Amino acid sequence: MAEVALKLEQLETMMGNVQEDGLAHLATDTVHYNPAELYSWLDNMLTELNPPAASGSKVNNSFFTGGGEYDLKAIPGSAICRRSNQFPVDSSNRVVGTTVTTTTASESTRPLILVDSQDNGVRLVHALMACAEAVQSSNLTLAEALVKQIGFLAVSQAGAMRKVATYFAEALARRIYRLSPPQTQIDHSLSDTLQMHFYMHFYETCPYLKFAHFTANQAILEAFEGKKRVHVIDFSMNQGLQWPALMQALALREGGPPSFRLTGIGPPAADNSDHLHEVGCKLAQLAEAIHVEFEYRGFVANSLADLDASMLELRPSETEAVAVNSVFELHKLLGRPGGIEKVFGVVKQIKPVIFTVVEQESNHNGPVFLDRFTESLHYYSTLFDSLEGAPSSQDKVMSEVYLGKQICNLVACEGPDRVERHETLSQWSNRFGSSGFVPAHLGSNAFKQASTLLALFNRGEGYRVEENNGCLMLSWHTRPLITTSAWKLSAVH
Amino acid sequence: MVEKNNNERQRVKLVPEFSINDHQDVLVEILRRLDGPSLCSAACVCRLWSAVARNDSIWEELCFRQVSPRPSLPLRSVVSALGGYKRLYFLCIRPVLARLPKIIWSHDQLQLSLSLYCVHYYERLYVGAWHEDAPPSAPPSSLMFLRKPVNVV
Repeated sequence: MAEVALKLEQLETMMGNVQEDGLAHLATDTVHYNPAELYSWLDNMLTELNPPAASGSKVNNSFFTGGGEYDLKAIPGSAICRRSNQFPVDSSNRVVGTTVTTTTASESTRPLILVDSQDNGVRLVHALMACAEAVQSSNLTLAEALVKQIGFLAVSQAGAMRKVATYFAEALARRIYRLSPPQTQIDHSLSDTLQMHFYMHFYETCPYLKFAHFTANQAILEAFEGKKRVHVIDFSMNQGLQWPALMQALALREGGPPSFRLTGIGPPAADNSDHLHEVGCKLAQLAEAIHVEFEYRGFVANSLADLDASMLELRPSETEAVAVNSVFELHKLLGRPGGIEKVFGVVKQIKPVIFTVVEQESNHNGPVFLDRFTESLHYYSTLFDSLEGAPSSQDKVMSEVYLGKQICNLVACEGPDRVERHETLSQWSNRFGSSGFVPAHLGSNAFKQASTLLALFNRGEGYRVEENNGCLMLSWHTRPLITTSAWKLSAVH
Repeated sequence: MVEKNNNERQRVKLVPEFSINDHQDVLVEILRRLDGPSLCSAACVCRLWSAVARNDSIWEELCFRQVSPRPSLPLRSVVSALGGYKRLYFLCIRPVLARLPKIIWSHDQLQLSLSLYCVHYYERLYVGAWHEDAPPSAPPSSLMFLRKPVNVV
């Protein structure tokens, strides 16, 4: 992101100089394109065809001399200055924030050495921001023109920046043309096997899911110490990849394994197959192999808020210790009014010894679209950056598609369809605190395991584990990306 | 004179030769003390040695040589159920050692390797399901990240 900040500084200076020459003026005669044409063009772009070189240079010329079809001078000059103040939004430990704030002081003395791709990189980020602003102010003609610009600029970039820009551009286009179907339809448009593939490739390529599972498992393992019968309720069953490791750890613990019961909750499958049942069978096979007494129940629910404690067949807490686990699921409840409160209520009825939660560490749920856009652009840029080290390009692509769906939902959907409502640890802490939960600190064992795990990925360059108020955060360079936290009921409840 | 020499030669021939291949328990004891690369070389010497080297207790020794205290008995049954120590060594422990040569093998690192091994076993259970309607790519393994890039399909 330091690179992006540098490019932004250069753009700022450039625009500053242009303004002085009196060339920048508000132009409203942008060309209106047929939506269908633009969308199919975007589709082509997304399958990575190279644009003709001529249009690239055309963009260059029109930027400075004015006129032509691509009239970037439509971007108001003051919007640019506002951009630089909006970048360092909340967290102070981001590289972009610190670099941009020093720009204003040294702007006039900074020499300009522009290289083509850097130039385009600056324009790309700027175009993305301007397009988002146009969408927010419902200036759709401008937004359309900018989305096309983004497409051309994106293809001139390499690596993570291009991919991120492409996904964001597609999402913006969907938003502009109201093309996005609701979230559930997006999911069901892909077959379950394909979705499983994306998930598994994401699991394998980067450490995020493994980090989540291993740290949560360690917390659960420690909470289950000494208990003879244990029950885990998993809000995020998926393929059940979290549980083999826990079952193996329970099998080998001192005093022998407890009797292990698992309740898995997941969304309905597109083809109505009972995939939760299949997952349970696989886990049962594993349990039998390692001699752990195992019981399983699978629940299909469209939303966690549809659950009731009575459905879960809870047994008296003297005989059975319960843990509740949620990996990247709680934020989906924030779109429904009363959703999260209902789930907290159910969890309190369950009376778990521990409630492990893993969530993305970023605020993508603010009321202003532009703020959400900025935040998510930073977040997913960092995430895609971290994927660049993956050895296999096929795995990388699968993981990127997996993340791309989140981007699409975040940017293109609104209301109850927008389920990717990520929030930061401090926001979640407030929610948990006001609902009667207190934090349970994750121990040093979890920290050490996580550090070793990260050291195995890419020799650990870039990935860091940080401890924050008893919670563990996985960061890429200085930017925290996901947080594992554990909660228990306060004594009052 | 010649007769005496013949007798001496005959006497020498009557002394039985020692062959390690006749004492496989001793061979096992020797192989248990080898490091990874040497053990792999030894397994390539001949068919007998290759068969002896498949003895899982040799690989168990290799896996846990640096760990103290020595892990407990239930561990052996769990690891056998998941595929044995030899596979554990090749899939998890050797790559981890290769990537983190200065690692101190404490309980946490061991636990991590075992967890990864267990997840790998669980994923193998899915292999049957993959072939039915999966795209023609190989199913991903959660341990793929431990392999060198050149080995990845």
